[in-house]
Amino acid sequence: MTRKDNWLIWAFLAPTLTLLGVFLYYPMIGTVIESFYDTSFISPEPRFVGWAVYEKVLNSRQFSEIVWNSVIWTLGVVVLQNLLGFFTAVLLNQGLPGQGVIRALVLLPFVLPGVVTAILWRFMYDPQLGLVNSIFIRLGLFEDSAAWLASSDTAMAAVIFVAVWKGFPFSMLIYLAALQNVDKSQMEAATLDGAGALRRLIDVVLPAIRDVILVNFVLTLILTFNYFDIVWVLTRGGPQNATHIFPTKIFETGFGQFRFGEAATYGVFSILVLAVLVAIYVIVQRATANRRPVA
Amino acid sequence: MNASKSTRVIQIALQIALAAFVLLPFFWMISVSLKPATEPFAIPARLWPQDPTLENYVTAFRPEFRTYFVNSMIVSGASVVITVVLGLLAAYSFSRAQLLIITVLMGGVVLAQMFPHSAIIIPFYKMMRAADLLNTYASLIIAYVSVTLPVAVWMLRGFLLKLPVSLEEAAAIDGASPLRIFCEIVVPLARPGVIATAVYVLIVTWQEFLFALSFTSTKEMRTLPVGLNDFIGQYGIRYGELMASSVMVSMPVIAVFFFLQRYFVAGLTAGAVKG
Amino acid sequence: MKTKLLATLTSSAIALASAASAEVTLQFWDNQQTESGLSQFQQAAVDRFMAENPDIKVEVTTIPYPEYQQRLLTAVQGGNAPDIATLDQIWVAAFAEAGAVADLSEAAAGAGLSRDQFFGGAWDSASYNDGLYGIPFNVDVWQFNFYNKDLLDAAGVSPSDLTTFEGLRAASEKLTGDGKFGIGLFGHRGEDTVVVMNSFIFSNGGAVLDDAGACALNAAPAVEAMEYVQDLAQFAPEGILNANSGNMRELFLNGSLAIEFWPALEQPTLQKSDINWGFVNGTAGASGKGVGTFGGWNLAVFESSAQQEAAWKFIEFMVREDVNGDVVDLIPANKAAAAPFLEANRQGADDIMAHLSNANPRPLSARYLEVADIQMTLYQDVFSGANVQEAADAACADIDALN
Repeated sequence: MTRKDNWLIWAFLAPTLTLLGVFLYYPMIGTVIESFYDTSFISPEPRFVGWAVYEKVLNSRQFSEIVWNSVIWTLGVVVLQNLLGFFTAVLLNQGLPGQGVIRALVLLPFVLPGVVTAILWRFMYDPQLGLVNSIFIRLGLFEDSAAWLASSDTAMAAVIFVAVWKGFPFSMLIYLAALQNVDKSQMEAATLDGAGALRRLIDVVLPAIRDVILVNFVLTLILTFNYFDIVWVLTRGGPQNATHIFPTKIFETGFGQFRFGEAATYGVFSILVLAVLVAIYVIVQRATANRRPVA
Repeated sequence: MNASKSTRVIQIALQIALAAFVLLPFFWMISVSLKPATEPFAIPARLWPQDPTLENYVTAFRPEFRTYFVNSMIVSGASVVITVVLGLLAAYSFSRAQLLIITVLMGGVVLAQMFPHSAIIIPFYKMMRAADLLNTYASLIIAYVSVTLPVAVWMLRGFLLKLPVSLEEAAAIDGASPLRIFCEIVVPLARPGVIATAVYVLIVTWQEFLFALSFTSTKEMRTLPVGLNDFIGQYGIRYGELMASSVMVSMPVIAVFFFLQRYFVAGLTAGAVKG
Repeated sequence: MKTKLLATLTSSAIALASAASAEVTLQFWDNQQTESGLSQFQQAAVDRFMAENPDIKVEVTTIPYPEYQQRLLTAVQGGNAPDIATLDQIWVAAFAEAGAVADLSEAAAGAGLSRDQFFGGAWDSASYNDGLYGIPFNVDVWQFNFYNKDLLDAAGVSPSDLTTFEGLRAASEKLTGDGKFGIGLFGHRGEDTVVVMNSFIFSNGGAVLDDAGACALNAAPAVEAMEYVQDLAQFAPEGILNANSGNMRELFLNGSLAIEFWPALEQPTLQKSDINWGFVNGTAGASGKGVGTFGGWNLAVFESSAQQEAAWKFIEFMVREDVNGDVVDLIPANKAAAAPFLEANRQGADDIMAHLSNANPRPLSARYLEVADIQMTLYQDVFSGANVQEAADAACADIDALN
């Protein structure tokens, strides 16, 4: 398109910008405004309170826990999901027997509705009736059953595990596709130079798919941070606040306790924390990318 | 790839472990769906019910289920088509225009992905009510298109950035109008990206719960994810029927997925290569 | 509001007399509590109502319980409330304070409905600031101690042992072992956790809030009760902090749990099972008797409804002696309907009536849901083995800070 095609640029953008403006930005700006008012269901007359709700939220005992949990949850899921997705992609790219079928079956968790996934896994984790403990005990790894979701020490790890189980096929798919595009001649050259599988991976494959990793991380970062179903159904943010993250807190405060102003404030904080996470990741990624020699 | 025999054995073992990791919960889901309601859960967990039965599937496949299914098809189908069309138009502009304001607007699109849905649902609901659209397909389609558009634009833009501009330039020199270039050159080339985006939107909307719950009130308008909750009461879950329904809910998406897998993979990479 | 409703009632009577063909459509929302297929019976009752009132059409919307609160709130906030809905007892004060539901006092008085026809605790839960914001629809009480007779016999425990604090502890100890669990305690973040612990506190002479509305959870009777339950937890299945009443039911149904805590609603499930079961009315502490926590739903008319007089007619119909029992899966709130309902559908009707008449409501506060959240945190502390007095002091500081 050239400069004089500007009208086309705007005509093409118009529907999307209108929709996002009206249905995402307008409600979100309303939520931001609401966060400066002390509104709740039981006192419907909005009262302007400036930063008071922000101070209240910042000073509450739970706030730092929720920020911390959100960060752990998001990083845990994103890193593990991408690692597992990557290694699965490498494994399923070796031309092993049965590869085609397994490639397809691996996608199953991705298409299962979130609520069903969580109900299924809540049962899997059940200390008495669940399959997880039953398998561990039969394999002789444990003598007694463990209550994975009921202990503050293990609950976060347990919910992250479920999210990774559900999410890694998506990452795998993207990496699998990226691997198809890695230059075969470079791989062969590296092999001739005597590079082992690991060296080839680090020197040839990773640089070649660096951009894919960036996009994959940012996309899963955003989707995971705002993911609600799994944590809500598995633990409702418990035990205590061990798995309370921003989406569960916003929902519980707004719809569970009728406090809309405070829920709006958590919503604003939630976007800030997420934006910071994305920014940190992009900056770190760019910085390390610049220092890395091109393979 | 050359691999020694022992490496190969390890790889096959890893592949089997992977399949087990993914499939074991599904196996149990199917096992529970075949368990008669009167058979209690055993300690330790039993992998297969004593008297497997299809009765849960019979109950689950009730008239409501068929209604929910049709509703889901309509809402997801329409959302996919509209999102992809609008997303492709916007992505083309975002990928070809060299203006600062366009870059800023793209940042705005990325930011919009970050809005938590439970923070915007009430204002969104009020708008739907004002427009008299509650309890209609339109309200859900509008919501789904709005919330999936940012990712769709992002994915499609990455894909379009990778297409060689030279083809378009050559056509422009030949005197083709910009609109014609878009329709006849860009759209056909973008097909893998379009399919990738379509599958993404399909999977997201097929599972969506919060909007579907809030905007529909009658059973005639409910979608499958909300319908599944018919089996979840205040005082208990009917696991057998829930799992039977879940198996039935997952199947169509898996079928579509298998069918489109090839394109999906190609499209996603292309979109991902240039973020 | 009262005058408005009265005026509309009067005018509607006139309107009815003059034009019987005037048709109104009522939106009625209810939540689906169990999977009993109740909505069919409800639809039959609605059809009967419409036959009796040809000028009124009722559209029923049934919403699954887990989403009911969010769905209703979104509709009310979005200016799209139904005409009538069932409200959980614990929401009524908030909906009244918000001005979302209509005061029904005069309509009730006009129709001759009064507290003595209903379970008192249920009627009180609809009363707020001298107004009446709902009519009790159904009730139940947390908790009955359901027991597995075979397991009790094998351990040499008598059901009457379960009715006192000491007896229940000793029984739980005897019943635990050999892959069996003594007592089904649960402590996930949910209202069932709150009502069961409340019941132990009530049974020990304690309260959540005292008569002045101040937190009483750190007073001696409440603290003792919580310490008692904390000790009892060693006889419960692993995983209390994420377990709910539904998980305990599955264990009870497969015969590995000796005692589970449920409202009377559990009976239909048990009747269908192979378990040889019975129940006693809670467990008495220092108060000398087991005192349960009231639960149930009230019918409310929304202030925004343009058809409040027709809505009132519908409510009057739904709580009528000959109707109420057909449209609930808990227990009819109308006492005259409850007796035959219990005779027909539940074992131990007299015991259930006694336990219902003896139950305490949860705090009638517009901020109850926040109070309950603090209680859940406290009860999870208790099950985590925290010092009960300290945890209760902290909880009370939070609760008293709400006001």
